[in-house]
Amino acid sequence: MFLQLVVSGISQGAIYALVALSLTLVYRATTIVNFGHGDFVMAGAFVVYVFVILAGMPFLPAALLAFALLFALGLAIQRGFIEPIKAGPHIGFAMMSIALGYVLRGVARAGWGREVLPMPRVFDFPPIFLGELVVTGESLVIVGVVAVLLAVFFVVFYRTRTGKMIQAVYQSERGAALVGINVRRFHCIMWGFGVALGAVGGVLVAPFTLLHPDLGASFLIRGFAAMTLGGFGSLWGAVAGGLLLGIAEQQLGAYVSTKLIDIAAYLVIIAVLVVRPVGLFGRVAAVRV
Amino acid sequence: MIFRTALRNLATVATVLAAATAAAEDTTGITDTTIKIGIMGPFTGNASSYSKAEIGLDAFYKWINDQGGIHGRKIETVLEDYACNEAKGIASAKKLIHQDKVFMLHGNSCSGVAIAIKPTVVEAGIPWVVAHAVNEKISSPPTKNIFHGVPVGRTYGTVMGNFVASKPGTRTVAVIQHSNDWANSYCVPAKQRLEAARIKVPLELALERGQTDATPQVLKIRQAKPDFIIACLYEAETAIFLKDLQKYGMDAIPVMGTAGTDLENTLKRVGDPQTVRNYYVPHNYVDNTTGGRMKKWNDIILKYYPNETITGFSAISMGSGVAVVEALKRAGRNLSREKFIAEMNKIRDFDTGILSGKITWTPDDREGVKQAAVNGFVGGKPTVLKSWGQPLFGG
Repeated sequence: MFLQLVVSGISQGAIYALVALSLTLVYRATTIVNFGHGDFVMAGAFVVYVFVILAGMPFLPAALLAFALLFALGLAIQRGFIEPIKAGPHIGFAMMSIALGYVLRGVARAGWGREVLPMPRVFDFPPIFLGELVVTGESLVIVGVVAVLLAVFFVVFYRTRTGKMIQAVYQSERGAALVGINVRRFHCIMWGFGVALGAVGGVLVAPFTLLHPDLGASFLIRGFAAMTLGGFGSLWGAVAGGLLLGIAEQQLGAYVSTKLIDIAAYLVIIAVLVVRPVGLFGRVAAVRV
Repeated sequence: MIFRTALRNLATVATVLAAATAAAEDTTGITDTTIKIGIMGPFTGNASSYSKAEIGLDAFYKWINDQGGIHGRKIETVLEDYACNEAKGIASAKKLIHQDKVFMLHGNSCSGVAIAIKPTVVEAGIPWVVAHAVNEKISSPPTKNIFHGVPVGRTYGTVMGNFVASKPGTRTVAVIQHSNDWANSYCVPAKQRLEAARIKVPLELALERGQTDATPQVLKIRQAKPDFIIACLYEAETAIFLKDLQKYGMDAIPVMGTAGTDLENTLKRVGDPQTVRNYYVPHNYVDNTTGGRMKKWNDIILKYYPNETITGFSAISMGSGVAVVEALKRAGRNLSREKFIAEMNKIRDFDTGILSGKITWTPDDREGVKQAAVNGFVGGKPTVLKSWGQPLFGG
């Protein structure tokens, strides 16, 4: 059972990792914690639902189109709602992100408020049986897609000129601006990628779960827990935190009590903040004087 | 002369008393042409499919209006959404009672919300007919103004336990449920019935609302190898649980669900007849959901809500709607809340033509419906059963 729970936990945790990474991306780029992020995950799932079910598109083109659409939404949000309030108090960003999330939720409720929607099976692979161990098709798809996405993300981030520019802006916006990097455009792109990457989480879970406008709330809290566990602002930490949280939920549920699954994320947040506030991969900020 | 004066004085006193009595009667929500009824339900959120019950009720009252109304009055419904959320439920109830000033409340899916609302309704003294939520705490002990128009969880739980026990060879049962009053209202009486039948429950599991994975629970079931599973879960989590059972090759074990789910919706959600082939639920109606005896009621819903999909929840609140209309008729043109409650208390063995159980309300017992059957797939078709393998209507 232990191994089975690890396999299942990695599959769940891969989604949390994606959500936590996209949260971290926006946080690192703009210092904004996006409290509406869960609703962008929900939006990704609903957009792909609209394309597949209502427009009759195949899943893969629908997923790519959903990614592009949510990327554009992220750009628009940065330009239309975040940029104009950047001179205001920081709390304004939090309020704005919550409000935008609720607007998205409201739009989904207006369209599908009374339904919990099923998506048809997209990846209907038979499970692989390795003795007692069952590796399901959905686990393979989720883990595979997330692994590819993460590999591309980290290669771009650490191995390309674009990635180096991103890191430059991360370290010092003023310094980056002085060497000719368009910081405003950089913020827009990071919002676009952050929203789109979170939406991929929704796109991936859509065929395996049921869709409803409040779907994002549970992903948001798990994303925060993964971020906390990995260390605020750490990209690798967000991924590791997501995977560990997924595995912890499953193990706690099976070996302690199934009642703990639902509160595992909160337990993780409390434990990390008390025992190691910087998380597993975070670093204590040191200022030389 | 003395006699005539005494008679006149007596008549005056009687007139004053009658006027005082009339003034004491509560006619809030009643005009010459309308009776205002508040309908609360979870029209949004992940339990929103339960609101089909409230949609059905609203359609029924619209249909009553088209039949001429009741004693010259049309029913004016005010719909309020509480998204299956306790805090929103209390706010909705207060709005309907104090702002919209409705005559009565009717509807209410989600037991947790109904229990949260109860103190507000008791304090206001407004008639309240609970037409979908099942927790017996809503109507027991009886309160002057509260009536239950569907079987309560105890009735359903007993039906569930009896059905599980009726399967030959059932010795052990696993129970999986939400940690809330709603789930307890089904699972506790079901377990009591199993205990009485000397069937063991070695495994009790939790699956909370909003969870998207049931792997730990299914793996524990795989270890325990029960003969039957009782699942007191809301619709979304039922679908996730059934899908995970199939995923891990456990779908041969029959699963007894609650009246909070229905076969048609569950099939729609899991998307695969194989996954629900061993799923059973308590059944409330005189026929299959879309059977001939339900056609009249389904047509009423579709007349006023043409895009509505009929499910096992659609007509559940209409049953008590028929009884409410009967009590309103009996109360007469000079309607008041007191007269209505008095007439509701006289409803006995009332056949709604919708519910399989008849409705009886007395001042001492407000659990109006005491019977239900079971619905399951037999040969791929939804079939109403009285016990394991025994169709209620002769196949």
